[in-house]
Amino acid sequence: MKLATIGVGNAGSKLIDRMIEFEVETGRNLCRHALVINTARTDLAKPKNIPEDRRVLIGDTHHKARGHGVGGDAEIGAEVAKTDIDEIRRVFDDVEIHEVDAVLVAAGLGGGTGSGAAPVVIEEIQKMYDEPVYGLGVLPGKYEGGRPALNAARSLQSFVTKVDNFIAFDNDAWRSRGQTIEQGYEEMNKELATRIVTLLAAGEVDESEVGENAMDSSDIMRTLEVGGVSSIGYASTELAPAKQGLLSKFNESDEPESESTDAAKIKGLVRRAVNSRLTVPCDISSADRALIVFAGPPEVISRKGVESAREWLENAADTVDVLAGDDPRPDSSTLAAVVLLSNVTETPRIDEIQSQAVDAQNKIREQDAVREEEIQSLITDDDDDLDPIV
Amino acid sequence: MKLAFVGVGDAGTRIVDRLVRAERASGRSVSDGNVLVFNTDDAAFEAATAVPDERRVLLGDTHPAVRRRPDPAEAGGADGAETADGAGGADETEALASEIDPFGVGGDPDTGAAVAEAELPEIRRALDRIDETEVAGTMLVTGLGGGTGTGVGSVLLEELNSIYETPVYVLGALPAATEPDRRALTAARGIRTVVPLADAVFPVDNEAWRRGDPVAERYDAINDAIAARVLALFGAGERDPESVSELRVDPADVTRTLEVGGVASIGHATHELTPDDAGVVTRLLRLLGIADAPESDGAEADAATVKRLVRRALESTLTLPCSVDSADRVLVILSGPPDAVSRKGFETGRYLLEEETETVEVLAGDEPVPGATEVTATVVLSNVTDVPRIDEIQRRAVAALDASDAGDDGTTVLGDAADADTRPGAPDPADGPGDDAAGDSHASEDGQTGNPTDGAAGAEPDGASSESTTETDGSASEDGDRSVHGFDFTAGDDRGK
Ligand SMILES: Nc1nc2c(ncn2[C@@H]2O[C@H](COP(=O)(O)OP(=O)(O)OP(=O)(O)O)[C@@H](O)[C@H]2O)c(=O)[nH]1
Ligand SMILES: Nc1nc2c(ncn2[C@@H]2O[C@H](COP(=O)(O)OP(=O)(O)OP(=O)(O)O)[C@@H](O)[C@H]2O)c(=O)[nH]1
Ligand SMILES: [Mg+2]
Ligand SMILES: [Mg+2]
Repeated sequence: MKLATIGVGNAGSKLIDRMIEFEVETGRNLCRHALVINTARTDLAKPKNIPEDRRVLIGDTHHKARGHGVGGDAEIGAEVAKTDIDEIRRVFDDVEIHEVDAVLVAAGLGGGTGSGAAPVVIEEIQKMYDEPVYGLGVLPGKYEGGRPALNAARSLQSFVTKVDNFIAFDNDAWRSRGQTIEQGYEEMNKELATRIVTLLAAGEVDESEVGENAMDSSDIMRTLEVGGVSSIGYASTELAPAKQGLLSKFNESDEPESESTDAAKIKGLVRRAVNSRLTVPCDISSADRALIVFAGPPEVISRKGVESAREWLENAADTVDVLAGDDPRPDSSTLAAVVLLSNVTETPRIDEIQSQAVDAQNKIREQDAVREEEIQSLITDDDDDLDPIV
Repeated sequence: MKLAFVGVGDAGTRIVDRLVRAERASGRSVSDGNVLVFNTDDAAFEAATAVPDERRVLLGDTHPAVRRRPDPAEAGGADGAETADGAGGADETEALASEIDPFGVGGDPDTGAAVAEAELPEIRRALDRIDETEVAGTMLVTGLGGGTGTGVGSVLLEELNSIYETPVYVLGALPAATEPDRRALTAARGIRTVVPLADAVFPVDNEAWRRGDPVAERYDAINDAIAARVLALFGAGERDPESVSELRVDPADVTRTLEVGGVASIGHATHELTPDDAGVVTRLLRLLGIADAPESDGAEADAATVKRLVRRALESTLTLPCSVDSADRVLVILSGPPDAVSRKGFETGRYLLEEETETVEVLAGDEPVPGATEVTATVVLSNVTDVPRIDEIQRRAVAALDASDAGDDGTTVLGDAADADTRPGAPDPADGPGDDAAGDSHASEDGQTGNPTDGAAGAEPDGASSESTTETDGSASEDGDRSVHGFDFTAGDDRGK
């Protein structure tokens, strides 16, 4: 698939930047256009793989934002995106939209810029183009508290109603012991970039390599078109050196046995992809459609294995709509399986965020209601005998 | 966040001087030279050497009620003032602050305000020296008990509000219990005046911070503590533009935290990294190429350390002791070497604040300081409304007012410091909190700053919040239920396709 990508806010921008880094490292070519949008000038300086003229500062004339971010206030995030929508359109004018299959908009839903501005951007893109728009959204962790949960619950709703599919990433599912803040975000972004790029870059191979089993962009888009929230699983295995170079020829003479072990390995890899950490934990049987991409040297992807893996997933995801295909990468020393579970409806973390958000909204209303009165009572004496100076 | 510092009166002059010094020492640039100090008496100017001469403004030359100091170098001729530097000014640190010296406006805020009104053109000219385009806000720094601090300060605040579009904050010292009644009265009126005018006010409780010593002896120490806290808050992210933060504290994070107004308080705690610390161990292991270092048990202890540090900041001697659960919004900043601040500790520390302060508006950010040997947590409690010290100052002010109404000459009664230490209800000086770094244990004992133990913390917030919850329960929960399905947002429901 070929994508135009837009990162909104701090997290969204870092994610797009990391995706590009990953595709360059692995010789893929997914993100044909990349754009980042932010309300904070300093955050815009971060991406290493996005040219200066593809970084858009919005809200610098807004009296609360001023190029300094929006402090987690999603209302302002949305407001400044609307005000500066022409600026966003102008940068998008350069995008040769016919060269891409879809647009991907990434954002951290806990932040004010990501949660507020991204839905406005999506809406504008949908006015301009007919191409599908996918969302990639980071859900805040439970311990980030009420405000990020409220931003996320509200933004999630706009995302899901607008986009053609929303791929969720749950920060809580990706915490591991002993991480520093820096490591934590770097590891999560790397994991997410690996999954997204491995999945969506399939179908972009050199014509000569395309076998009948190659995954096609239209298959991926078909799986995504049901809408809703999606989750991605991933597993990879290092290939034994015997599979490559001189020794691989020797191995070919042993084909029947090799074929059956390979088949078992392939199926095992897919099981592992689904049973290990998904981008957002979910009940996989609630998936509407599913798709498996095998990325690796074509000679190790056994047809038998692919078929039994596909059948296994049909059962596990409880849907007959399961596609499987290859992304042939002849020089790769790993074989990866990435599984897209499209439109999963049982996602406990999303329910939790919604209830956290409701509590937060109530709390905020209570505080708003008494604020002025409490300040007044603090600064005046009981009988209001004391005069102000001016 | 870049801030202009505008000091007023002796306290304002000294604290701004400290702030500028602290900026230089810490490598954080907040004011970028956008500083000014105003006074009606020039004694404090001399020691404030970090503030350039042309940025010190003496007011009141033409006002009949303003008294000038006798020239200390009278005998030495017209230019003698230069040589007498320091000697006169430094020793005068208001003796024990138990009486108000008669120079300048002599403690009278109404005179202070009149002087400032009369010299507005001069004040405006001086304010031109501040480049508003270089800063994201202004901090007016005063002693709220001062005739100059609150009198001139209030007029300045009105002026700053009318000329600047960016927020104007006030940092104001509150008088100690041993200071004259007049100081308490001025401070109570000052609070009443500046809180509605300012975007937020940071009162500093001199009584809590003097540790039982005469307050004037503690000015330097208090001012250093204030400067450290103000810079930790506003200077986060202004230290090194090169170091990349994952969740940077943007100026908007600070302004949004403070935009609710009222009074704000800052807590601060530091953890010295020792070679035993996981951060250092991690660094070492990484140097040795041991890849799984982050999984080690030592690093996990780091999460607990960071969480404990956040708790210590909350329970430290706050700039203004208060009930932390009365806070409206909170901001926490963790600053330290990027490889020593645990993600889990950062998140659980943040959650702890949400529980202890009973607000869901908790913003958090990190400030990586490569090579630092300590981790600090700075907690800002915005719009705290349960502040015993303010209530106490108001009671004293009202009593002083009543006494002066009863007496024949109000000014005399208010100016008299003799009764300050025998006043009923004056707190025992020994109750004062410990010093900056070591004061944590004291702070938790005084019961004003939160739950002292981990065990109690988990259970208590629910019980403690029930009172305020029930008051508004009826309407709030009904609205809330409806909103479950009603999250409508941004561009409404008109899908763009
Ligand atoms: N996975 C991941 N999540 C991140 C990253 N950076 C921030 N987040 C999450 O994103 C949310 C914060 O959003 P940000 O993107 O930092 O904020 P913003 O959208 O720029 O908005 P403001 O800061 O409010 O102006 C929180 O839930 C963070 O945990 C990242 O690099 N990776
Ligand atoms: N924290 C702190 N407080 C101070 C300092 N200097 C004075 N104060 C307090 O500030 C209040 C006002 O004192 P000054 O600043 O001396 O008064 P002023 O504003 O110059 O005005 P006058 O009343 O006319 O002298 C008093 O309550 C003092 O205790 C200081 O350096 N640090
Ligand atoms: Mg931000
Ligand atoms: Mg004075």
